[in-house]
Amino acid sequence: MTLDPATLMPVGVSFEAITDIDFWISVGVLAGIYAIVALGLQVNTGFTGIVNFGAAAFMAVGAYSMAILVLEVGISFWLSLPLAMLITMLFGALVGLPSLRLRADYFAIATIAMAEMVRLFAQNARGLTGGNQGLFCADDDPSNCYANSWRDVSDSINGFVENFWSDPSSLFPLLLVIWVTVGIATIALVYLQKTPWGRVLRAIREDEDAARALGKNTLLFKLQSLAISALLGAIGGFFLALNLATLHPIDFEPLITFFAFSVLVLGGLANYKGVAVGAVLFWFVIEGTRFIDLPDPPFTETRIAALRLAITGLLLIGLMAFRPQGLFGNRQEMVLGE
Amino acid sequence: MNDSGPLLEVEEVVKRFGGIRAVDGATMNVRDGSITALIGPNGAGKTTLFNVVTGFYRGDRGSVRFDGDRVFGEPPYELARKGMVRTFQITKALAAMPVIDNMMLAAPNQPGELFRNLIFMPRGVRAHEKQVRKQAMELLQLFNLTDLADDYAGTLSGGQRKLLELARALMAEPKLLLLDEPMAGINPTLGARLLDHMQRLRRESGVTFLFIEHDMEVVMNHSDRVIVMAEGRVIAEGDPQEVRRDQRVIDAYLGGTATDTAHGEEVTQ
Repeated sequence: MTLDPATLMPVGVSFEAITDIDFWISVGVLAGIYAIVALGLQVNTGFTGIVNFGAAAFMAVGAYSMAILVLEVGISFWLSLPLAMLITMLFGALVGLPSLRLRADYFAIATIAMAEMVRLFAQNARGLTGGNQGLFCADDDPSNCYANSWRDVSDSINGFVENFWSDPSSLFPLLLVIWVTVGIATIALVYLQKTPWGRVLRAIREDEDAARALGKNTLLFKLQSLAISALLGAIGGFFLALNLATLHPIDFEPLITFFAFSVLVLGGLANYKGVAVGAVLFWFVIEGTRFIDLPDPPFTETRIAALRLAITGLLLIGLMAFRPQGLFGNRQEMVLGE
Repeated sequence: MNDSGPLLEVEEVVKRFGGIRAVDGATMNVRDGSITALIGPNGAGKTTLFNVVTGFYRGDRGSVRFDGDRVFGEPPYELARKGMVRTFQITKALAAMPVIDNMMLAAPNQPGELFRNLIFMPRGVRAHEKQVRKQAMELLQLFNLTDLADDYAGTLSGGQRKLLELARALMAEPKLLLLDEPMAGINPTLGARLLDHMQRLRRESGVTFLFIEHDMEVVMNHSDRVIVMAEGRVIAEGDPQEVRRDQRVIDAYLGGTATDTAHGEEVTQ
């Protein structure tokens, strides 16, 4: 007598999809983007003690600035990148100037409001952002695409990769560039953290009044901290725009910020190296749970989609209960900071 | 004693919280090179006055001159850079930072705090950092904290934190040190050491001290000027002996007889 394994095990895993390399490369791209954004949040929350819930806004300002500069102003893609970074950093400083004077929890609320304002603006300023239609790179109309220059570079990278890998994934060059960026950003931040500049940030995290009493212009340092996370947010936004080949306001919902925060918490606060690991793990869980096969009915596709988020949430709650400092967080600093 | 002109001049300072005038026209001088005690019953406005003088509160009215400059309303970090450094009633040791980092943080004019220097002159930053570390270790040695240099400040005892806070304030190269209840909550041996440090720093480095204190024995034996506050005003100013005999002070603060000064607090409560 033969038994169908599916009827014996209510929970199974579909193995064909799980070995699909293209799928995992796209997961790696997402993980890298979130690692970059979460590094910015680490500068703010982990090392300056300012809880910034506005990461999605920085991504949106960066991505839309880049796209608008290319499509509307007509400058080259490569010039648009540094300009969009600058715009996003200025935007961050401008937002911080009034809001950083608020107490920590009110600052966090103000940043959520700011992020929603940016998203709603993108939704409604149709002439500039395309509104809910978005800006996209249609395959049949390559003239109206912000990513053409990148596509050329991507193709030439894959042209080289073909020497080793007969049919490389079209996302492979993006994966490569994103993770090189994660590496560079992590090294740069680890270095900054060891400088007198980083010491002032940590002092602000511990006790802002003490830092002020010792002659530090703390507002100035908090603005710099915010500008750095704006810069990283903008870079994350660029990669998101290149990955999706479209820009929609819906890509910058508050959920994005909270995903980035989950990555941060998973990797551990006050540790830059944990961020990349947290990002990979988070997206491995979020996307990996796609492959859990449950009998339909009662588990319809939409129910499973909701269940995936619920499982991810439960894992995070479990982490908080058993390892509150995250995977690589510094428990001693966390306990002493109270 | 090198009694000279005033280093700090406070005139008619007012600070209101809603309808309450916590500081109500306080006027006082702190002489250069002195160790001045600021005393008064609870709620007299001593800490509030500290906060206005050091820029942590914005005063409603009045003037503050420090080292000849008008500084009323300036932010705390500007005042600290001018040499007016304070400590807090509840110590603000930066708990999740090592002791040595607490110390090095306080050094003034650090090139490594400016972003452009980190990029364009990393070598200069490193050289300065080395010098700051040396200076910090010397001060830690003075305060017998050398062995704790690499420990997190949060693991220190209450008394050690007070010492660290004083040592850290000295790293900022102050002309005037304002200490809010430096003896509170530490054992008598450490307290005595703290007082010795104050005397020596005044003598060797010319640091002027203004400190809030409740222990009358400390005030009478270790300060050369005493300022008395009550109900938001300065009601008396003079050397300890004068203040001890001042009838207004006895009425307002010491409550009982003048001979009870050593335990004035208890007598009034």
